[in-house]
Order: sequence, then C-alpha cells, then structure tokens
Amino acid sequence: MGDAQPLLQVKDVSKSYFDQGKEFKILDLIRFELAERDFVCLVGPSGCGKSTLLRIIVGLDTPTSGQVLFEGHPIRADNPQVAMVFQSFALFPWLTVAQNVELGLEALHEDPAKRRTVAKKFIDAVGLTGFENAYPRELSGGMKQRVGIARALTIEPLLLCMDEPFSSLDALTAQNLRDEILQLWSNPDLPPEAVLMVTHSIEEAVYLADRVIVLSSRPGRMVAELEIDLPRPRNRKDPEFYGWVDEIYSLIV
Amino acid sequence: MTDFHSMAKVSVGQILGLVEAVDEVGGVADAATISREVEMDVDRLGPILVAAEFLGLVTVEDGDIRITELSRKLLTAGVRERKRIVREIIDDLPAFRLVMEMARSSSTPLGRQEVVQALSDRVGSHQAEDVFNALVYWGRYAELVRYDSESEQLTVRVAQT
Amino acid sequence: MRGLRGRLRIVAVVLILLGIGAAVLFPDAARTVATLPLLAFFSVLRMVAAYVLSLLFAISYGHTAATNRRAATVMLPVMDILQSIPILGFFPFVLLFFVNGPLGDPFGIEVAAVFLIFTSMAWNMAFGVYESITTLPQDLDQAARSFGLHGWLRFRLLAFPAMVPKLIYNSILSWTNGWFFLVASEIITSPGTSYVRPGLGSFIYLAGQRGDIGGIAIGIAALATVVLLLDVFLWRPMSVWSERFRMETTATGERASLHVPSPYERLRWLPRFPRLRREVARRTQPLVDRYARSSAKLDRVYSSHQRVIRAVRRADIGLFLIIFVIVVATGLIGLVGFFQRPLPSEARGLPIAAAFSFLRLLLAYLSALAWTIPVAAWLGRSKWAARFVTPVFEISASIPATALQPLIIGFAVAVTMGGYFAGEIGAYLVSLFAMQWYLLFNLIAGVRSIPGDLDEAARAFGLRGRTYWRRLLLPALVPSLATGSITAWGAGWNALIVAEYLQFGRSVYSVTGLGASLFQATVVTGNYVMGYLTVLAMTVVVLTLNKLLWRPIYKRAAVKYRMDV
Repeated sequence: MGDAQPLLQVKDVSKSYFDQGKEFKILDLIRFELAERDFVCLVGPSGCGKSTLLRIIVGLDTPTSGQVLFEGHPIRADNPQVAMVFQSFALFPWLTVAQNVELGLEALHEDPAKRRTVAKKFIDAVGLTGFENAYPRELSGGMKQRVGIARALTIEPLLLCMDEPFSSLDALTAQNLRDEILQLWSNPDLPPEAVLMVTHSIEEAVYLADRVIVLSSRPGRMVAELEIDLPRPRNRKDPEFYGWVDEIYSLIV
Repeated sequence: MTDFHSMAKVSVGQILGLVEAVDEVGGVADAATISREVEMDVDRLGPILVAAEFLGLVTVEDGDIRITELSRKLLTAGVRERKRIVREIIDDLPAFRLVMEMARSSSTPLGRQEVVQALSDRVGSHQAEDVFNALVYWGRYAELVRYDSESEQLTVRVAQT
Repeated sequence: MRGLRGRLRIVAVVLILLGIGAAVLFPDAARTVATLPLLAFFSVLRMVAAYVLSLLFAISYGHTAATNRRAATVMLPVMDILQSIPILGFFPFVLLFFVNGPLGDPFGIEVAAVFLIFTSMAWNMAFGVYESITTLPQDLDQAARSFGLHGWLRFRLLAFPAMVPKLIYNSILSWTNGWFFLVASEIITSPGTSYVRPGLGSFIYLAGQRGDIGGIAIGIAALATVVLLLDVFLWRPMSVWSERFRMETTATGERASLHVPSPYERLRWLPRFPRLRREVARRTQPLVDRYARSSAKLDRVYSSHQRVIRAVRRADIGLFLIIFVIVVATGLIGLVGFFQRPLPSEARGLPIAAAFSFLRLLLAYLSALAWTIPVAAWLGRSKWAARFVTPVFEISASIPATALQPLIIGFAVAVTMGGYFAGEIGAYLVSLFAMQWYLLFNLIAGVRSIPGDLDEAARAFGLRGRTYWRRLLLPALVPSLATGSITAWGAGWNALIVAEYLQFGRSVYSVTGLGASLFQATVVTGNYVMGYLTVLAMTVVVLTLNKLLWRPIYKRAAVKYRMDV
C-alpha cells in the first residue's frame, strides 16, 4: 500500500468527565495509526482509560476533543467494517450460537440463506461446529468467546477490536484461545485486515502483537510505541521474549 | 464409564491449554510447576489433569506430567484436525458406544430422560446427570451428536470427514 | 403410557355418569352448574381483553420511560403514583364516563369493566418493563449498537427478550390483581340502577344477595378451578419458558447444566400434563414459524420506513402526554372549583372516616402478621408441611377476597345475629383475606432463603426458643416482611372500598370509613363531589403512608438485613 491512506487514524483524542464543575481527565492526546496487516495491542494499568479509548475508536463513545478517522471518514458505531469482541462476551442469552453469530448479518438485512452459509463458515473456522443450536449458557467460557469472535468475523470487518477478550477466562483456556486467534490471523483468506486489542497483561501483548502501544495511568497518555519483531510462534520462556516484557514493565511502573 | 464423568466440568480449551503449557516448559513438568505456571490451584487443575490423562493426552507418574505422542499431533493440528483427533479418541468410550447403540436401535431421537436413565443403570443416578452433560458437550465438540436443549432430544450426527 | 390415558378416560366416564346422576336428582342445581362454563368464559374473556391491553400499554410505556429521558421525568412519577393508589376508588367515575358516554348500557359497562381490570394490571407490568430496560447489561447494549441493531430489529432481538422474565413474573401478579377487580366490576351499582354483566363474579354476588350459601360455594369453586387451570396451562409453562431469557449465566466462564430447573415454586403440586402441553406446542409450531417469517418481513418494512415509524412513535408519546395534561388540568380545575364552593357538610367526617379505615386495616394487618409469621416459620422449614399444607393455602389464596365477600358477610351475620358488629367483622375479615396471603407467601420465601449454614451456626451455638427467633429468624425475615407488607397494604386499601359496605340478603351492613363514604356518595346519594373528595382523601392517606412509612422501612430493610453480603 505504501503511503496510501492508513486504515485507522486516532488524532489527538482526549476524554474528560465533568463532575460538579470539576474536570477529570481520562485520556490525554492519544495519537496513533493502524495500517492493514497490523496487530496492535494497547496495554496499560487499570484506570488508564484503555477500554474507554477502544469504545471511542469504534464509535460507541465520543471524545471530548480529537477525532477518529476510519478510511479517512469519521467513525460510526454501526460501521460494518469494524467489529467488536467484548470482555464479558456480550452474547444474547436467548439466541442460539448460530443466531448470535448471524446477528450482524441480520442487521445488514442479508437474506436467511446467505446468513446461514456465511455464519456456518465462521462457526467452523473457530471450531464451534456441533454447537450451532446450543444456547450460550450451555457453553464453557472459551466456547462463549469463540462465539463472540465468530460473530465479529461474520460481518467480514476490516478492523477487529477486542476489549480484554481473554480476561474472563481461566489461564489455560485463555492460552489456548490466544493460539487459535493467531491461527485465524495467519490465514490470509479470513478477515480482518487489522486487529486492535486492549489488554492489561503485558505478557499477552508481547505474545500476540506486532506493535504494542503503552499507556500511562490517570490520565491515560501514550508512553511508548514498540515494534515487537519476534518471529511467531513465540515462546514465553524465551529470554528475548522476557526482555520485551521487562522493558514494558519498566515503562509503566 | 465412571471416569468419564470427570469430563463434565472440563472444557476442550482447558485440556488443550494444559497440553500447550506442558509443551512450553519442555514436554514434562511436575504438577506444582504447572499449577504455578497457569495460576490454578490443585482443586481446579486436578479434574483437568484427570480428564487429559483419561483421553491419553498426558501421563502422570510420580507427580510428573508428560505429554504423549498424541498430544504432539494435537499441538500442530488446525482447528478441524483437532476435532478429528478428539473424535477418534472419544467415539470408542463406553458412554458413547452405549448412546450410539441406543440411537441405532431407536427410530426416533433419544430423549434426555431416556439416556440419563440408561446411564444411571451403569454409573448410578448421582453421576448420570454429569455423564450426560459430558456426553453432550464432548459429543457436540467432536461432531458426534446433536442435542437440542429445548426439546431435550439427542441425535447422532453422520460423520462428515 | 397408554395405561394413563385409559385411566383418565375411565375417570372421565365416571365423572360424566355421576354428573348425569346428580343432574337427574337435583335439576335446579344442575341448571345453575351448567351455566358456569359459559360464565367463566365471559369472565376470562374480560381478563384476557384487559391483559392484552395492559401488555401493549406496559411495553410501550415502560420502554418509552426507560429510553426517553425527557418523557421519563413525567412518566415515572405517574407510574409510581398510579401503581400505589387504590384504583377501585376511581371506578364510579370511570363508570359514569363510560355508561353515560356514547357506548351506553351493555357495551359501555363492559368497556368500563375491562378498563378497571386494565388499570389494576398495567402499572406493575409497565414497571417491570422499565426495570428490565434500565438494567440491561451495558455490554449487550453496546454489542447491539456496534452490530447495527436498530428499530424493530433491536426491539425484537434485544429489548423484548430482556423484558420477558420480569414481564411474565409481573403478569402473574397482575392476573391475581385482575381477578380481585373482575369480581368487583361485574356488578355495577349507581344511584337508582344496578347493572349485572354475566360472569363468575356476578354469579357469586347474586347468590350472596339471595343468601344462597350453596350457590356462593359453587361459584367460588368454579372461580378457583379457572385460576388453577390457567396456572397449569399458562403461567407455569410461561414462567419456565421465561427462564431462558435471564442474563445471569451468560457472562461467566462457567458452563451451566443443560437442564435448567424451574424456580417456579407456586402450585408445584399440581399435575402438569406434559403430553397435552407438548401436543399443543406441536400444533402451534406453524404459527410460531409464520411469526418468524413475517417478522423478517417486518424488519425490512421497518428499516425502509424508519422516518414514518419514528414520527408515529413521537405522536404516540405526544398523545399520551396531551391526554395526561388534560386529565391533570381537569382535576386541578375541579379541585379549585371545590374549594370555591362551600364543602358538602359530610366532608367534615372524612378525617374520622380515614382514621377508622386506617385502624381497621392496621388491625387486619396485625392479626395477619400474628398468624403468618409462625406458620411461615413452620412451612418454610418442614418438608412435610410444605408438601401437604401449602396446597391448602395456595388454593385459598387463588380466590380473590372480593369473591369471598358474600361468604364472609354471611358468616359475620350469623355470628353477630345481624347486629351492628356484623359490618365491622365483615369489613375486618375481607381486609384480612385481602392482606394475609401476600404476607404469608413472602414470609415463606424469606424463611427458605435463610442460608443453611447460618441456621446450623445458630443451632450449634445453642440458640433456641425465643433467642433463636429474636437473633436469627425475625431479623432474617425483615426484607420479605417489608416487601409483603407493602403489597398487603396496597391490596388492603382496595379491599376496604368493597368491604365497608356489605350486603347480605336484603340487609346492608355499613361501617364508618372511607370505603363506606365512597359507596354512600357515589351509589346511594349520588353526591359526586363528596365521592371525589373521598377518593382524594384516600389517595392522600395512601401516598403519605408510602412516602413516610413504607419507603424508609423498605430502604433500611434492604440494606441492613440482606443475606447475600
């Protein structure tokens, strides 16, 4: 693409809350860009406003100042080019796995036959075949988040945003799901073109991302932007891996 | 068949995660190390270990956990291939054979009550419910069974690959 | 399984033969009984009409109040007030409006009856809808927004399913309220005339006027049968179904059991007829499928006409607000009018009437407490008692106090041999019956919710007898007591309106109280100014009690005596 327009531009985004006339600054002048084939992690301690930032980026929240541009245009929450995966899965308990996955397509008024075929493809890609008619409560945590991921991929977004997608899961399930995310990411036939993920786990960020953006706490400011040039699959016991983790730790503390 | 009920509370992701974790520390580790590594106490790790051993994915000897040849195959496999490997392991389990037998000799879908009843004859009524839950979860994952929780009916899937 | 059906057939044949035999022996009674199914049908029809209206109203009102902040500033207080005031008091005015309106005698009265039942059903359902929407998990809302669910699609996939559990739960309460008002609304007396609409309520009332105890009993039995049948075939399945719309289990990493046990405790001893219900479900499946297909069409229509639909919805809310403003304005103008004219002389008696009514309810409340607390403590902990005694109470509770009224006054007349105290005892008993069940069932639930280990700890430390009650049982019951008391008093005030002016045979038994003066004003003398003042007085008393007594108690109870800390 060269010097073509970046997929996502976050331009000097700040966010404040006002309580009884006093201003509480959450985010301060956040600025970065995302190009195609970028896997970026936003990491920071709790209270750095990283989840708020992600919600501003997908258009669910509005910045106090600054701007978010997607393909050069201001972002809208219901933009089908951007999909979101939630920490708490945010599955509709009254819909089956298949119905949950078809949700985004239903909103796009796709006809039922097309919906079914597309949903089937992504249900299969995340390994949920066999659970199509199960309700979310019948699934384990890892399976629930797979539904969340399949639901997001089904609308074939260019950008996938994930808000702490593994932190409601136990350590074993989380590690397994991280690997499967990387498997999906390495398949060029599948969406998305770029991933933006929020996490509080530095190890997780170094394990997954090409680029890590480090935020400080209260208000959230950008401390550093690091290219992680380790080859995949990465081994968390590797001294080089640990070098990165230590460096980010020292930036935050 | 009684061992099978240990899988009722364990998920596919946990077992795969355990195999990955042992592999990452060199393919063999003692339980305490793994427990520390994955931040899970023995109470929660225990059932996962039992289930993984039951499936033949790890061996546990003198507190040492070692991954098997089968595990190595699983680690390098993709999502679909993993399902196939698990299917080959579990379709031979007595609980599954019982249900397949029941399904074949019945012309209508099996009711939940019916299967639980048959299971309680083998494992006792206090475990039958657990075994049934494990059966549906693992059966769905391995694409061996279809279950509809609304009508509470279980059918056998025709294998696809 | 064929054996069961065969046995049922034998039972049916025996019942029919017995019925024919009885009909031959007692032709008069048989004729009466034969009309009951038809009367029950009319009564249920009124209830269903009112319920469907309530459902539509509750969904649109609750949804608007929860999503439109500007409208909510008006809609919330309105809901709050109308939910707690004794609606029955407004009935004479509603009736005046409908009967004298263009609809006239039979039709206007039917509309008035349905309207009355509607007002008793709608508000708590609207509140349930409001609560469900405002407590919708934020993530779910954001997921819906980020996937572009708008309009009808959002309502069908998110808002409506989210309101199902509370809507069903409150529907069950609404039907209980509705039966109470149904019985009162089938007989309508105004100065000079009385209108009787065919139904179970009027059947019981007329039997009471004849002093026919057997007739009253048959009518009450028929009413109880209808209530129980509806429970088996409608409310229990609905409430089991509504379980799948709950949020709790979806956000955790745990896997729930495949089989969700139903928490529906009420009337669990009744047979459930699963086969019959499954058959009905199978037969209605095409309808469900057709709904699914047509709703996809509706989605498309909605999305292509969004602007029109938004305009219609705005107009809808606007219309409601206009009507509301008109009603309030007329009320205020009327009020001003009253104070310009000299007050009717009877108005001076209102404070005393209010005091008497309050004392009467207080007495009924205290005696209800006196028996329900120990009985709940026993039923809540003894499996045997729960199994054999609870059904008796549940059947009794399914009969609205208004239906028991003729029986109660008959009893009171018999005891006092027709003296003045017949009225007092009658009014007291009707209020007691209206109040006690709310206390009993809330308290039983309260006893059941005491954690087992707390109970064991108390016993291990040797808490027994009075100390046990004082240190564990009573404090643990405070929250359920508060909830039960609020509902009980609400029901009590409504009951007073029919309880203070009782008729049995030819005689009238009236006592001093707000209910009696309302009846006196609107039915006997036709002094509507006085009636208006009485309702006003009652509303003021009820709202004051709520504000100064129940709210603070409830708040304290909810904080201090909660179990899940």
